[in-house]
Amino acid sequence: MPMKGRFPIRRTLEYLQKGEVVFKKSVKIMTVNYNTHGDLSEGARKFVFFNIPQIQYKNPWVQIMMFKNTTPSPFLRFYLDDGEQVLVDVEGKHHKEITHHVKKILGKPDHVLEAEALAKMELSNPANFGHKKYFLRECMSEVEGQVPHPGLVPLPKEMTGKYRAKLAATSDD
Amino acid sequence: RGSRERFAFSSAVTTSSEETSSVVKVQEHGGQCEDAQCYIAMLESVACTIFMGRKSRTDPKAKSKLGRIKTPPPVDPVEMVVLKERFTEYSLILRALRLEFKEQVLRKKYEDEVGSAAEERTKREAEEHRSLMAWNDAENLRLRQIREQRVQKETEAAELKRREAVLLRQQELEDYIKEKERQILQLQVNLSVLCNNGMQPNKEEAKDFITMDNLDERIEEALDNPKNYNFAIDREGRVVKRTAIQ
Repeated sequence: MPMKGRFPIRRTLEYLQKGEVVFKKSVKIMTVNYNTHGDLSEGARKFVFFNIPQIQYKNPWVQIMMFKNTTPSPFLRFYLDDGEQVLVDVEGKHHKEITHHVKKILGKPDHVLEAEALAKMELSNPANFGHKKYFLRECMSEVEGQVPHPGLVPLPKEMTGKYRAKLAATSDD
Repeated sequence: RGSRERFAFSSAVTTSSEETSSVVKVQEHGGQCEDAQCYIAMLESVACTIFMGRKSRTDPKAKSKLGRIKTPPPVDPVEMVVLKERFTEYSLILRALRLEFKEQVLRKKYEDEVGSAAEERTKREAEEHRSLMAWNDAENLRLRQIREQRVQKETEAAELKRREAVLLRQQELEDYIKEKERQILQLQVNLSVLCNNGMQPNKEEAKDFITMDNLDERIEEALDNPKNYNFAIDREGRVVKRTAIQ
């Protein structure tokens, strides 16, 4: 039982993380009005089917609502922080066009996204050691090629403290 | 040994005489030093770890501690004074550093939201937002015009179709009426002819009648040309297949 549903690729992490649209902080609610039949709503339907999961994954705090068969023509409506409402007509458009349009007007631009990713990377330095939850390694013995933990693999005699102490004692004598 | 054993590894011995913790200093590899042996025996009586608060509230004091009078370690006044001074200085410096760093973080946050650069940034963003909204409105307008044209075309086409349908229906009605009239007329004619002529048949139809004169010829004709009614036709009415005469 590998995957469920019609296009189960929509549920994979890889697909969701490829989403391009990250909304600006001011966007709070997104509403999609579309029809289940009809040629003009085809793009909107595909948008809802393929791209909405990506958008919701990238913007978990934005409320997205879908309304079916309420109006003759399909459209998107965004409700911003300051009460402004942005209406986007999507009649007869291809779903890729719709995503590009939305990204252009209300999405964070590419350079901002890159800067944010860079800043996030800076926070976690992979060279640091510490608790498994926050860092890659806890002890140098976990790194390949280094001396392993004596609890798992006993050290060779020459490296143990007591052997060295004994040697020192006998050599002094 | 006890169910949960954890060996506390305390760092360098603290000189402060105030600390009366009962953290045990045991060598890491569980080596058998003198202190450890006493405590191992104790482990058997009361289980759990070698941490402070090992016993619960209801556990009585150990019998070996009956006559024990706990005396704190002796305090050297000179040493105490010196240490107190050093500690105040140390804590002062540390506290100052901590507050300094905190203030740095808060200032950075403040600058990001309400700073000189931040205002320009917000203004720029507002301008960009306005331009993007204008572009969006232009796009909406364009789509609206396309939609209006399409709707107009559709209404015109629908109107045309309606008119044509009406015309067609009228035409059909007229044709039907005409056909019916023709049929009525024909029947009337036949009836009148029959009534007028009595048993005398029509001139056209009389040609085909079989009379006593034609009988022989007609019979020969029929025998010579056998008619085969075993044929199949397709939807157009053309003959497709004929079976053989038997």
